[in-house]
This record gives sequence, structure tokens and C-alpha cells, in this order.
Amino acid sequence: MNAQLFALAVFDGVAYAALVFMVAVGLTLIFGVLRILNVAHGSFYAIGAYLTASIGGAIFAAGYAPWLALPLMFLAAAIVGIVLGGPIERLLLRRIYAKEDALQLLVTFAVFMILEDVQRLIWGTQPYFEATALQQLGNIEVFGVFYTTYQLVVLPLVAITVLISLRLFLRKTLSGKLILAVTEDRETATAIGIDADKVYLLTFVVGAALAGFGGALASATTSVVPGMGADMIVLSFAVVATAGLGQIEGAAIAALLIGLGRSFAVYLMPELQVLIPYLIMLLVLLVRPEGLFGVVRTRKI
Amino acid sequence: MLSFDQVDVAIAGVQILRQISFSIEPAETVALIGRNGAGKTTTLKSVMGLTQVRGTIRFDGKDLTAVAPAKRPRLGIGYAPEDRRLFSAFSVEENILMPGQVAGYSDAQLQAGLDRAYDILPELKALARRPAGMVSGGQGKMVALGRALMIGSRLIMLDEPFQGLAPALASRYAEALRALRDRDREVTLIITESNPGLLRRFADRALVIERGEVREGELDAEKVDA
Ligand SMILES: Nc1ncnc2c1ncn2[C@@H]1O[C@H](COP(=O)(O)OP(=O)(O)OP(=O)(O)O)[C@@H](O)[C@H]1O
Ligand SMILES: [Mg+2]
Repeated sequence: MNAQLFALAVFDGVAYAALVFMVAVGLTLIFGVLRILNVAHGSFYAIGAYLTASIGGAIFAAGYAPWLALPLMFLAAAIVGIVLGGPIERLLLRRIYAKEDALQLLVTFAVFMILEDVQRLIWGTQPYFEATALQQLGNIEVFGVFYTTYQLVVLPLVAITVLISLRLFLRKTLSGKLILAVTEDRETATAIGIDADKVYLLTFVVGAALAGFGGALASATTSVVPGMGADMIVLSFAVVATAGLGQIEGAAIAALLIGLGRSFAVYLMPELQVLIPYLIMLLVLLVRPEGLFGVVRTRKI
Repeated sequence: MLSFDQVDVAIAGVQILRQISFSIEPAETVALIGRNGAGKTTTLKSVMGLTQVRGTIRFDGKDLTAVAPAKRPRLGIGYAPEDRRLFSAFSVEENILMPGQVAGYSDAQLQAGLDRAYDILPELKALARRPAGMVSGGQGKMVALGRALMIGSRLIMLDEPFQGLAPALASRYAEALRALRDRDREVTLIITESNPGLLRRFADRALVIERGEVREGELDAEKVDA
């Protein structure tokens, strides 16, 4: 592998990790608070991508300014979080928090399947491709390799910004503190007046919006096709499990690890490309069953 | 100010207390005595809405069972759980402030709550910025009391506050409770304990909880082997 291929593999890996992180961080946040592994998270990612690509395609074809690409991504994230995430938590998940894990998994899987069909109904099966954001920003040359500014600079910057803002939100704002308090000890949180139901809703909306934002960002780099949600949910499960459930910074590092592993496999052992993320996960879990940064939970009675 | 009338309590579907009735007057200091597993914690949790209750619990004449659990603290009820249960991600002061912030206190009210906590527990000032996960068990009990003081303007419930405290710290804690009594005469206090001798000096009354029932008791006479 020469230096240029090496650089390419690193760049691919970083760009991909940034997208996976956006999805995985919402998944792990939701798990930390609601204790639910939300399979439908993959649909939030896909719908974020579809919304951005289809609306973007329409407005840019109608001659609107290309800088609208970014606000459009925020809009798509907000729609996914509020219009989709909110009702799903309120009307459905709220009924199953006390049920066993297997049932919860099945219910979120059912939501995922329903949303897959909804996507087919709305957007059909033809691919959408809308790369205005990517094209507008052009390429940069690093180590003799030309790479898109969008993927090499914007995506990682956005991911780092999300990571830092999320940390600040959780530590510095009252809403964020309430989320951390409910994550640590729901009963005591209630006993000091925290409405855990509201905190659950807020967490789910924020987590879903992050996945929608990930999809919106991804839509500029790839065709939006049926099945992209399924690929992403499996991959972000691997990231979340590798990091340790509920670990936010850990999810960033695990996303990088798995993103890089996957991109190096593309160049070195293409036949293992699909397998590498799960091999990394298996290796980590064999050595540390609680994940790289996970803590063993002492059950509170 | 607080009364249970024929209350059945279950936790996770298991019935724990049967038909308990008692009543506590404003400004009283009541010791709730019972051996391990008698149901002291369960009784306090029922006031906070953390158990399944049948029957009526009245607070200031209001039927508490109709008030959502998360809305109860802002009626002026502060609760220090048995095993401290601080939020380790936050500093000591953030822990103390939190019930007030959640209740939507103004800055002046929050400051008044902090002053109250630091008045009664001056040692907490030095710990204010320390992460709550990094204080000792005894200090944690003080922080839990401070957190209850933030919101507990009418009623403060302390679940076995002396358990596990070294003698010096236990007498320091008792001193803080006396300071609270002197400072806020109108507040009602419920303290659970398996060793009633500890509370003899400042409780007005003892309620004894035994075999799922509550009865009046004598602080001096009650001998409960823990
Ligand atoms: N989550 C639970 N599920 C089932 N039973 C429980 C649960 N919590 C408590 N119990 C039972 O309820 C009874 C009363 O428990 P509780 O904790 O109220 O007692 P306590 O008087 O506070 O005891 P201690 O002095 O040990 O703190 C006990 O028999 C206990 O086993
Ligand atoms: Mg107890």
C-alpha cells in the first residue's frame, strides 16, 4: 500500500466515521436514558437522507441558492426528530418501557419495518442523488491526494461540533442535566421532582434528530436507496456495542476505529469489507464484554 | 399535615404494607421505627409516589395519590433516600440545587435554599465544587440532607440518616438536625431508624412499624433489635 492509498483509506475512514458517529451517538444516548435498543434508528437516518435529497433536488432544480443545502439538512433533522421521533416515543415506546428487552426489540424492529415501507411508498425504489453541498465546496489536496472538502473537512468538523455541543448540553443546561440525572437513577430523579416522561421524550427527539441529521449529511455523498437504513443501524449497533452502551465520547472513538477498519479493508482485503466492523466488535467484546469504555452496571434495588 | 388512611402498598406487584393508618401534625419530629425489612423505606417512598398505593395519603389536606410523583417535591417535600443516591455526574452544589431548579425556583429562591443548606451544614461549603461521586459516605449523607433542604419547606423525610456514620459524624449529623429544628420551627420531620435510642433526644413521637402495621410507640421503651 503506497502513501497515497494509505491517505485515501484514512480519509475515507474518517469521513465515514463522522456519519456513523451521528447515528451511533443518538442510539447510545437513547439507550442510556430509555434503556431501549432502537432498531428504528436506522429509519431515522434513511428518512433524513430521503428528505434532504428529494427536497434539495426540487429546490435546486427550481434555481434556489445552493447555500440552502445546510439549512435544509437542519430542517430534515428537525422533521425526523419532532414529527417522527416525538409521536413514536409518546404513542408507542411509552407503553413498553416496563416490558422485557426482547419485546422492546421486537417493537422497535416492527417500527423499522413499517418505516421501510413508508419510505417505499413516498419515495419509491429509484435512487435519489443530490450532491449540491458536496460540489459547492470543491476539493482540497492533502498529501498529494485530492479529496472533497465536504467529506474531509465538513463532516469531521460537524461530528466534532456535535460531540462537543452534546457534552455541553448535557453538563451545562438544565434539560441536559435532567437527562443525565434520569440516566443515572430514574427513581431518585422522580423523587426530586424530575418528570422522567418528559425527559424520555426529549431524549428520543434529540437522538432521532441526530440520526436524521446524519442521513441528511450522508445524502450529499451517496445515492439514497432503499436499505440504507438497515446497513446503518447494524453498523451503529456495532459501534455502540464496541464503545460500551451509553458512552458518548466512546461512540466517537469506536466510530473512528470501525470507520478506519472498514476503509482499510476496502483497499487491502475487499472481501472482508463488510465483515471488518463486526470482527472489530467481536474482538473488543471478547476482551471487554462491557465495551471499550463501558462500565459494569451495579443494579440498583 | 400528613396522614395515611388504610393504605396498602405494593412494590413491583408484591404487597408490602397492609391497611396502615397514621397521622402526623405540623412541626412534629417523628421517628419511624422498625427493624430491617419492616417497611420504613417503603412508607417514605409511598409519600414520594414511588410505590403502588391503594388508599388515601393526605398532605396538607390534599389527596397526594392524585398528584403525579414528580409534582410532589414542589409541595415542599424534601426526601433524603436511604443510600444517599446523589447524582455522581454533578458537583455537590449542583446536587443541592437540582430540586429547586427542577421546581422552577427563581434565583432568589435558589439562593435562599442554598443559604439554608449551608447554614445547617456549613461543612458542605468546602465541598461545593467536588463531584458528588467523590465524597465519602458520611459526607454524602450530608449532601443528601442538603438536597432535601433545598425543597423541603413543609416536610423533610430522612431515611436512616445515621446508618453507617462513624460516632463523631453521627453526633455532627444530630447537631445539624437540631440546628434545622431551631431554624425552621414549622417544618415537619420524619426520620426512620432501626435504633430508636438515637432519636430519643429530638423526636417528639415514635411510630413503630411492625408486621406491615403502624402503631404509636414510646421512644424510650422501644427496643428493636436491628
Ligand atoms: N423492590 C422490591 N421488590 C420486592 N420486595 C421489596 C422491594 N423492596 C422492598 N421489598 C420488601 O419490602 C419489605 C419492606 O422493605 P423496606 O425497604 O421498606 O424496609 P425497611 O424498614 O426500610 O428496612 P431496612 O431497615 O433494611 O432499610 C421488605 O420485606 C423487603 O424485602
Ligand atoms: Mg429502609
